[in-house]
Amino acid sequence: MAALVRISSLCHRGVSPLLFRPSSLIRPLAVQQKDHDCSYLISARIHATPSNYAGSGSKAATMHWTGERILSIALLSLAPVAYFCPSPAVDYSLAAALTLHGHWGLGQVVTDYVHGDAKIKMANAGLFVLSTVTFAGLCYFNYHDVGICKAVALLWSK
Amino acid sequence: MAAVCFSLSRCCSAVHRPAVTAVRFAQTAAAPAAQPRIKKFQIYRWDPDTVGDKPRMQTYEIDLNTCGPMVLDALIKIKNEMDSTLTFRRSCREGICGSCAMNINGGNTLACLNKIDTNTSKVTKIYPLPHMYVVKDLVPDMSNFYAQYKSIEPYLKKKDESQQGKQQYLQSVEDRQKLDGLYECILCACCSTSCPSYWWNADKYLGPAVLMQAYRWMIDSRDDFTEDRLSKLQDPFSLYRCHTIMNCTRTCPKGLNPGKAIAEIKKMMVTYKQKDAVAA
Repeated sequence: MAALVRISSLCHRGVSPLLFRPSSLIRPLAVQQKDHDCSYLISARIHATPSNYAGSGSKAATMHWTGERILSIALLSLAPVAYFCPSPAVDYSLAAALTLHGHWGLGQVVTDYVHGDAKIKMANAGLFVLSTVTFAGLCYFNYHDVGICKAVALLWSK
Repeated sequence: MAAVCFSLSRCCSAVHRPAVTAVRFAQTAAAPAAQPRIKKFQIYRWDPDTVGDKPRMQTYEIDLNTCGPMVLDALIKIKNEMDSTLTFRRSCREGICGSCAMNINGGNTLACLNKIDTNTSKVTKIYPLPHMYVVKDLVPDMSNFYAQYKSIEPYLKKKDESQQGKQQYLQSVEDRQKLDGLYECILCACCSTSCPSYWWNADKYLGPAVLMQAYRWMIDSRDDFTEDRLSKLQDPFSLYRCHTIMNCTRTCPKGLNPGKAIAEIKKMMVTYKQKDAVAA
C-alpha cells in the first residue's frame, strides 16, 4: 500500500509511460473527486484497515457476543417457565430479558446501518430512550395490570 | 463415435471403407443443419475515460453453436469478435486464479466455472462484483480487499525464529487435515462481495474471505500467534459484523464454507486466554 501511494504520487499522467500507469487502478475514484492529482489521498482514505481497533487488550466485544447468546438461551428457557408457572418474578424477568434482548438486537442494527459519529450518537441515545420506555412500560403493566404471562394467556382464552 | 470409427477402420479397412466415410460424412453434415441458437448477454459497461459517461447495460447476441460452454468463453468471444472495448479480468480459465469473479444472473461466481444458461429465451445479465468501486466495465477495485487480507498477516509466524530455515516445520496428518477446506480459497472475493454486512461496512468489517484465511492461520499447528491473531479481532467490527447470513457459503465457486470458519473463530474468541495475548 505504501508503495502504491508512493508510485501514484510520483506518477502524473503527463510523464508516465502509456502502458505503465499504476495510478489507473484508482482512477475512478479520482474522477469522482474531479482531481486526479490527489488520488493518493483518496486511496489512503478507502484503505482503512481495522488496525485502529486492534490490540485494545480487552475482551469487551467477545463478552458482548457471549452475553447475547446467554440471554437468547435464557429467553428460550423462560418461555416454558412462563407457560407452566406464571408468577410476578417471571413477569419481571421477562420484562428485563425482552427489553435487553431488543436493546442489543437493535444496537446491532444501529452499528450496521448508521454511519457518522453524530448520527451514531443520536441513534444510540434514541435507542436508549426507547429501551427505557419499553422497560418502564412493561414494569408498569406488571405492577398495575395482569402481568406479561397472564396477558399472553388471555390471547388464547377468548 | 470416434472410437467406433477408429476400431472399424483398423480391423477391416479395405472392405468397410465406404461405410466409415458415410458415417463420418453424416457426422459433419449434421453440424450446419443445426439452427443458430442466439443467446442475449446484457453486460454492465462503464468507461472512466469518457467524460460524463454513465453506467449502462449493453446487449450482445451470440450464437451458442459457435461459442464455448462457459460464460467466460462468451465474454472472450465478444471481446475478440464483436467489441474489443469490453474490459474484464481473466487468466487461468479453469477456476484456480480467481480473476474472472463477477456477478452473473444475480449471483457472484467465476465466469470460467459458470455454464451459459442454454435457454435462449432468457437474457444472461453480467455485472461486476456488487458494491465494489468499478475501475472499468467488469473490473472492480480490489485494493481494500487486498489491504484487509494483508492486515491479518497471512503467513506463518514463530515466536522462536532461531531455527528458521534449518529444517521443515513438521505437522501431524490430523493437524494438516484441519486446513482442508480452508487453504483452497483463491481470494476471488465472491463471498465477501455477496455479504450485506460487507456491503455496509467494507471499511471496518474484514469479510468472509479474509476471516476464513485468518482462521486458517489461527488453527495451523505450526503457528505460535493464535491468541495474538484472535485478540486483533477484539472490536465490534472486524469479526462481529458477521450475522450468519451465509451468502458467503452459498456463493463460493470453490464450494468452501467461510460461514463455518467465522463461527469457529467466534467460538475460539470466547475461550482463548487473554494473558497469552498480552504477553505476546
